[in-house]
Amino acid sequence: MAPQGQDASGESRTGVTGSLDRRGFLAAAGAGGATALAGCGGILGGNGEEEPIRIGGIYLLSGLAEQLGAGSAAAAEVAVDVINEEGGINGRDVEIEVRDHGDDPQGQIQSLVQEFGADVMIGLTSSGVTLNSGPTIESLGVPFTLTDIGTPYITEHDTDTYGDYYEEDGLAAGLPNLFRSNSMTAHMTYGIAQYTVDNYSDGLRIANAGPDYAYGQQCWEYYQAYLDGLGFDYEVVASEFPSLGASDMTPNISNIMANDPDVVFTSFWANDTVTFTSQGVEQGLFEEIEDAFDTIGADPVNFNTLGDTMPEGMHYSGWYWPGAYGTDADQNFIDTYSSAYEDDDEILAYPTFTGGSTWGAIHMYKQAIEAAGGTEPEGIIGEMEGLTFEDDPRGTITLDETSHQSDASVIIGESSHDADVPYEGAGQVNIEEYTIDRQEALDLLEESGLPPGM
Amino acid sequence: MSYGFRDRLRRTDDRWRGGAVLAAVLVVAPFILGGFQTSLLTETLIFVLFATAFNLLYGYTGLLSFGHAMFIAVSGYTVAKTVGVLAPLLGFGDIFGGVSPLATWALAIVMGVIVATIVAVFIGFLSVRLTEIYFALITLAFSMAIFVVFLQDTIGAILAGFGIGDGNWSNGSDGLSFIMGDVNLFGWEWRLVDITNPLAYYFLALIVVAVGMYLLWRIVRSPFGATCQAIRENPERAEALGINVSFHQWMTFILSGAFSGLAGALLIPLATNVNPESHAHWTSSAEPVIMTVIGGPYSFLGPALGALTYEYLRWIIRQFPLLEEYWQFSFGILLLIVVMYFDNGVAGGLFRLRDWLGEARTHYRRDGVGGVVSFLRATIVSLLRWAVNAVVGWVRAQVRRVVNVMRRESDLPG
Repeated sequence: MAPQGQDASGESRTGVTGSLDRRGFLAAAGAGGATALAGCGGILGGNGEEEPIRIGGIYLLSGLAEQLGAGSAAAAEVAVDVINEEGGINGRDVEIEVRDHGDDPQGQIQSLVQEFGADVMIGLTSSGVTLNSGPTIESLGVPFTLTDIGTPYITEHDTDTYGDYYEEDGLAAGLPNLFRSNSMTAHMTYGIAQYTVDNYSDGLRIANAGPDYAYGQQCWEYYQAYLDGLGFDYEVVASEFPSLGASDMTPNISNIMANDPDVVFTSFWANDTVTFTSQGVEQGLFEEIEDAFDTIGADPVNFNTLGDTMPEGMHYSGWYWPGAYGTDADQNFIDTYSSAYEDDDEILAYPTFTGGSTWGAIHMYKQAIEAAGGTEPEGIIGEMEGLTFEDDPRGTITLDETSHQSDASVIIGESSHDADVPYEGAGQVNIEEYTIDRQEALDLLEESGLPPGM
Repeated sequence: MSYGFRDRLRRTDDRWRGGAVLAAVLVVAPFILGGFQTSLLTETLIFVLFATAFNLLYGYTGLLSFGHAMFIAVSGYTVAKTVGVLAPLLGFGDIFGGVSPLATWALAIVMGVIVATIVAVFIGFLSVRLTEIYFALITLAFSMAIFVVFLQDTIGAILAGFGIGDGNWSNGSDGLSFIMGDVNLFGWEWRLVDITNPLAYYFLALIVVAVGMYLLWRIVRSPFGATCQAIRENPERAEALGINVSFHQWMTFILSGAFSGLAGALLIPLATNVNPESHAHWTSSAEPVIMTVIGGPYSFLGPALGALTYEYLRWIIRQFPLLEEYWQFSFGILLLIVVMYFDNGVAGGLFRLRDWLGEARTHYRRDGVGGVVSFLRATIVSLLRWAVNAVVGWVRAQVRRVVNVMRRESDLPG
């Protein structure tokens, strides 16, 4: 064993903090997971072969992002129902418990693993909470799949290049037991940047608007970095960051309009998308600009809430749009989801933009647990590294062996009231898919120093 | 023998006995509880210290601070920077070898308390010039200013202005996350803060909290503490007696801030991160207020009981999604009940229960089990009568008000 303060190569480490390397983690994961389960074994009676397989879920189910979290939870629950109807996993029933982030998300994660006895976890809704929960997730040791999270840092493992997020104010926060089934900010912003380059000429006047916290700032940084990497000539005429959940964005919109942009790049989500869009319509913003982008604004829940207000011809994007992929798996998901929630007063009976990644995550766990032959964290993690899931609604999805990031595409569509959607409001037409791999992202982001996280 | 000496001696014996039982329970508890419950108990102990430190200012001195989270936050950020920057800069890894996480933790606690104390010196000096609601508002204002400093990373911007760093000091809304690392003590290796096996950090926190609580106990039982209570009861009279009220309040504010900083320095390594929303926002400042009001501000252990009640009620509420969705509502009702119907929070309720049990024992000695039953019946009847009278009184008052309004309207000309 290398002495404390030195790494395996014998070089002195200046930091006193210590995160585990992958091999060390996998060795400890079994022990940690076993300890965690043993800790609650006395209460739960263990989680042996006769016990159901337990999935813990944690999303924002109250406040600003309630609808977003509720959509993910709904997709997870319907996926579990389908798996149980088909005989469960390895003949064992699957049980899911989804909780709110609340005011103590780390406590909730710990409780789900140590009290509920979750074998695997899904979540979360906030990038900040995810980064802050890293040490908790790593310590608990059970596999954790993100289904809704944007920040590229959390799946970046190259600490040599980008620095360790948990040790040296770096940007690489990749964890050995954490995976992500959705495409994320480094995908989204590439898609929008590529769309911009493909559809607009040099000299474009761009305004930015996004929520005033890490996600909004990161989206704007990545978008500009990709535009620079693609060699596009543009001018930033305004950049506005209203506070998260702001009820009045009119001053920000006025400022944008005063600077006469050609297009507006936004990174709003959930209620913020609704607020910005509806107040933008009232102020005539969309009549004065050629186009508006929104990283994860293309969500049926948003369009349903906006109703007739949603302007047509705008290019909002997302991680998933029902029916955009032409796969049987997608149609099956849409049908199952719609039929499960057709009489529900609170859930829109149409999958949200996190639906595909959440449904996929549950089925990936099924595939990994069946391949591993049990619920030992080490076995599941080993199976998930490089796992290919062919029946994902978004097509065939692979979890990268190193970064644990899925290679899912992003979609950019044109908002239209002629779209075939089962609610009163706009949908997406002329949908295009964008994908990017690590090497391409590295090349494009080289000058910015931003990590690809894929 | 002086008057009441026996009683005081007996009370002292009871206190020591109670303390010994409590200590034994706290030492044994983590070996029985699972990992999660031990972590919860660790957090509760830290909040016991925080709420008691807060109550030095509120219950003992009569100053309601609505910004005490600022001490948790400044101490927490100091801890995070000590772990991430200061200790590596001082070469703790090389100097202390396997025990460097322990040495770092000790340094972080000292630094956290020092910085919180410095903040308390300045903010306290300005705040104690005001009283009552104005004092609450100025502490709230200072705490939200600190919240914004961390959220907008003002420190990073200032340092960058002097050419130090890249402008990122507090990492904005995401805050700072860190891992305390593994201790290697004579070949025995363990993670300092390990949520799957939290024994080590539990006992470290227990020792620090016990020392902190003992010091607070000595403070409130000293002439300094008695002066605090005199100021709380009547500041003008205290001033007339020659006490420099503002100076005394300032000192109390500093002590309260220092011990709150100590609680913050313990809490943040357990949470493994510090961020503005969770640790500096005004809602975090409400926690010690609620704990103290629930527990009872006019007894030393009141805030401790409040912290215990608060933390475990929160835990129970989290088990039920419906309750969790409306947890503030559940707590609001609890707070209303405590404020309206308890003399001094949970502590007051427990004291009343103790008195009732004493009376019940007297009835038992005099009339046997039958005496206790009739005493219980009489208690229930009197409680019901009180409740009915309260409801009837309220309804009568409302009816009277409506009648008066109608009468006034009918008296209007035209």
